[in-house]
Amino acid sequence: MATKRPVLCPNCGAHIKKNGYCSSCHMPLPVLKKAFNTSDYYYNIGYDRAVARDLSGAIDSLNISLRYNKKNIMSRNLLGLVYYEMGEIVNALSQWVMSVNYQSSGNLASKYLKELRQDPTLLANVDQIAQKYNQALAYAKSEDFDLAIIQLKSVLSANPHFVKGYLLLALLYINSDNYERARTTLRRVLKIDKANTLAIHYLHEMGDTDENIIEMSKESVENDGLLEADEEAITLSTTGAKSGSKLKLFFGDLIERYKAKAVSRGEYGEISFAKYSGIYVLLGMLLGIFLLYFLVVPAQKRKIINEKDKLIKSYSEELADKNATINSLTNEIANLNIALDAAQNPQNESDNPLPDYSEIQNGMSDEDLQNLINNE
Amino acid sequence: MINFEEELKRFQPIPEVSQAEDAIYSNDLKDISDIVFQVTEEMKTANENAASRYAGRVRR
Repeated sequence: MATKRPVLCPNCGAHIKKNGYCSSCHMPLPVLKKAFNTSDYYYNIGYDRAVARDLSGAIDSLNISLRYNKKNIMSRNLLGLVYYEMGEIVNALSQWVMSVNYQSSGNLASKYLKELRQDPTLLANVDQIAQKYNQALAYAKSEDFDLAIIQLKSVLSANPHFVKGYLLLALLYINSDNYERARTTLRRVLKIDKANTLAIHYLHEMGDTDENIIEMSKESVENDGLLEADEEAITLSTTGAKSGSKLKLFFGDLIERYKAKAVSRGEYGEISFAKYSGIYVLLGMLLGIFLLYFLVVPAQKRKIINEKDKLIKSYSEELADKNATINSLTNEIANLNIALDAAQNPQNESDNPLPDYSEIQNGMSDEDLQNLINNE
Repeated sequence: MINFEEELKRFQPIPEVSQAEDAIYSNDLKDISDIVFQVTEEMKTANENAASRYAGRVRR
């Protein structure tokens, strides 16, 4: 005979009494079952929306699902995944952490968190992106629209799926009457989140019909040049609705550090730095030529002269040595010639006359004569 | 027509990683079971109070 399995409370795990209430937390089982079923129903809707890339719709459904059952692990994990896809990493993390807290074993969120932990640079980047976005928002609120746009572009370059960043960027473009850029930005939003209500609202306000919007979301965003640092982007007007002043900026992120100097506002007309680029190039070339002729060339000349002097000196010394050698050799030749002459003409020796003994011979004895010779 | 100021109010700062803990705690929403549990507890307390109020009375 099969034993009847006890019914457990889905809330606390205690036994359910015969009257349908939990013995521990006193919760009515039918109400809990109904709530949990409704939670699953909204999870399914959320899942379908996420598959269809209606991410903001999926977030709504999944949040409703969690209102019925906050321990619905599937809903929480999917909500985290949707946040992650929309570039809101911290929200995704918080959903996954809570999911793991409710169910630690056999939970897909553990895998997601593990993957995030394995990449320490990711969290640092996430933090930086969040800081930059918040700063851009602060700039926008203080009407520093150019700085806000530059900052947002930096954020979106680092995280191209950050929907909130695109929406804020589009709003800033609309504010500066740059509708084409705003459309390009919103097109990117629709690529990530097909039915983003805010993006569609902005497009409607710009005069786009539903058909246009559907067509627009099909277009490619690969080469739209939205995040490129083109002339238009860096010379963006800072037109506030009130001030009407304009400012051009060159230095991307560096400008942030020098905000106090860069944001000085004045009643200037729109300056296009592009038309001065030729002059800048010319000035640069002139400066280069100046440096070349007044600094580099004299130094080179001095160096060449010094080298030449050294060479002349060394040649002179060598020449003197050679002359000395030639003189000594000439003298030697002369001596040798004399010796040679002497050897070839021995008769010349008679030119050196011996003492004339002819006179002495007369009246001298042989013995005296011999003595005289010996003495000589 | 888009009112920039009004639209800008829709945008709120996003939490940084250092604020993730706060985001988790603030996200701890009440679901149906929490509400039912709260209601049950309130009813239980009310019943106990009522019981203690009538405990000293003598039925005539």
